[in-house]
Amino acid sequence: MLNIKNLEAKVDNKHILNGLNLDIKPGEVHAIMGPNGSGKSTLANVLSGKNGYETKGVIKFNGENLSELSTEERAQKGIFLAFQYPLEIPGVNTNVFLRTSLNSSLNKFSPSFTYSRSFLMFCFDHFSIISFIF
Amino acid sequence: MKTEDLKNSQEYKYGFTTDVENIRAPRGLNEETIKFISNIKKEPKWMLDWRLKAFNRLKVLKEPDWQKPKYPKINYQDLYYYSAPKSTSEKPKSLDEIDPKILETYKKLGIPLDEQKRLNGIAVDAVFDSVSVATTFKDELTKKGIIFCSISEAIQKHPDLVKKYLGSVIPLSDHYFATLNSAVFTDGSFVYIPPNTRCPMELSTYFRINASETGQFERTLIIADKGSYVSYLEGCTAPMRDENQLHAANVELVALDDAEIKYSTVQNWYPGDENGVGGIYNFVTKRGACRGRNSKISWTQVETGSAITWKYPSCILQGDNSVGEFYSIAITNNHQKADTGTKMIHLGKNTKSKIISKGISAGKADNMYRGLVEIKNKASNSRNYTQCDSLLMGNKCGAHTIPYIKNNNSSSTIEHEATTTKINEEQLYYCNQRGLDQEEAVSLIVNGFCKEVLQQLPMEFAVEAQKLVAISLEGSVG
Repeated sequence: MLNIKNLEAKVDNKHILNGLNLDIKPGEVHAIMGPNGSGKSTLANVLSGKNGYETKGVIKFNGENLSELSTEERAQKGIFLAFQYPLEIPGVNTNVFLRTSLNSSLNKFSPSFTYSRSFLMFCFDHFSIISFIF
Repeated sequence: MKTEDLKNSQEYKYGFTTDVENIRAPRGLNEETIKFISNIKKEPKWMLDWRLKAFNRLKVLKEPDWQKPKYPKINYQDLYYYSAPKSTSEKPKSLDEIDPKILETYKKLGIPLDEQKRLNGIAVDAVFDSVSVATTFKDELTKKGIIFCSISEAIQKHPDLVKKYLGSVIPLSDHYFATLNSAVFTDGSFVYIPPNTRCPMELSTYFRINASETGQFERTLIIADKGSYVSYLEGCTAPMRDENQLHAANVELVALDDAEIKYSTVQNWYPGDENGVGGIYNFVTKRGACRGRNSKISWTQVETGSAITWKYPSCILQGDNSVGEFYSIAITNNHQKADTGTKMIHLGKNTKSKIISKGISAGKADNMYRGLVEIKNKASNSRNYTQCDSLLMGNKCGAHTIPYIKNNNSSSTIEHEATTTKINEEQLYYCNQRGLDQEEAVSLIVNGFCKEVLQQLPMEFAVEAQKLVAISLEGSVG
């Protein structure tokens, strides 16, 4: 499902990842462990396509080459990064943020959730634990 | 917003011109021009005298030059001061009499003048260059005793009200542009709300500059009598031209005892192209007087257009316990410049004012908040709270905050808070990682930044304003 071959990453001419190889099959859960500064976050950042890294090697996700896609396109295909310290965007509440995120990931031709209410109904229908967030 | 919509809206979509035959005043600023304007409007003598008095005063006034955005000298003799579509030389009495081309223009702008197609119960006064072409819902308002018409009509039909209040907030000799306006103002809206009346719908004026080489000088006068309430909204657009056009309006608000006026502006004049060629000079004087006890005036402005925006909507808090509010979003992109803010003058006891200003600059733009809070010595127990936030995008733009604070009363309090921030990479990355593209991310962050102000707008316009905010910042990150 996710195939990483000879992945290298550099920041300011400093090598962080030196030829990483990893294959992850559907249904598998992998934990990557290591001391501070060993490149765990860099790997996550490079997979999600964060700017500022010079990379070499191949990352394939469901057979598709990820390196050609932007961060948001990768996100839309299902690469999701849980942030250690999630940011706050001042003035944007959780409902609006999630709704905007969902709308941008929906197919162009499917109806989007313009109103907070319709989005909440959708959430109640699909998730059971969500109620306390709002 | 989907990518396709974004692509289509990249350029200023109100930039078209309408081809109508015009009647113009002779070029230049002189007594003849003023007499021409007064004559074509069939004004009574007192009005002409008032204009001429302003013109005489103008001769000794100097154009101010203390502002930050400098502009090439305007040749006032080279402008047309009056331009009106030929077909409106007599104000049309019904919609059928309006030139279809003008109706079409407003339709394109999304302002239906046809009362059958109600725009959420909003009464509109449409001003095309120098004349008001239509006012909707008049009959319904008249039943409640509310007067909503063009100022020219008010001068004819309600001279007592006009004589009493015109120039009472912005005096004839106030400053160069205000005096210029007093001499040559052409049209604008007049609103009178009788005592203890709540205006049942939003009143709105839509200004459109169409003719070239023409200045637009409109005058708006709103009077809220004792215990009344009105919410008023103005919108503005202009065609794309490579010359700079001058828009110098005067807006006067008067709130008597227990009255409230809410005045919202969505200003989207043509801002010039990405190299800073063309665009409107928006030099406007807006002032409200809280004359009565417990009166309230609230200004909300969303400034996205104009090459230069230079204005300070102000409140004079005369009555005891009166309240003044100012909510502002000023967005400057490319070469746009803004020098805007407010003045809160506390005269009465227990007066309160609140200022929330959000400035956003992108590209090579320069955005300035300049505000005055003055508490006079008799205004005991007065309060002011000011918050000025600036958001910078990119590293070629500027944001400046210049607050003038004067407190002459020891029992009064003034608070001022200011922040300057940049859109940060981490926030953008966070949004991207949640599937938003760059434009959507910026729009979300900026709308969040402006939320406190956007919330103040009447519901119907808040959505429009949000879109406008996103559109005016397109292509500013990269």
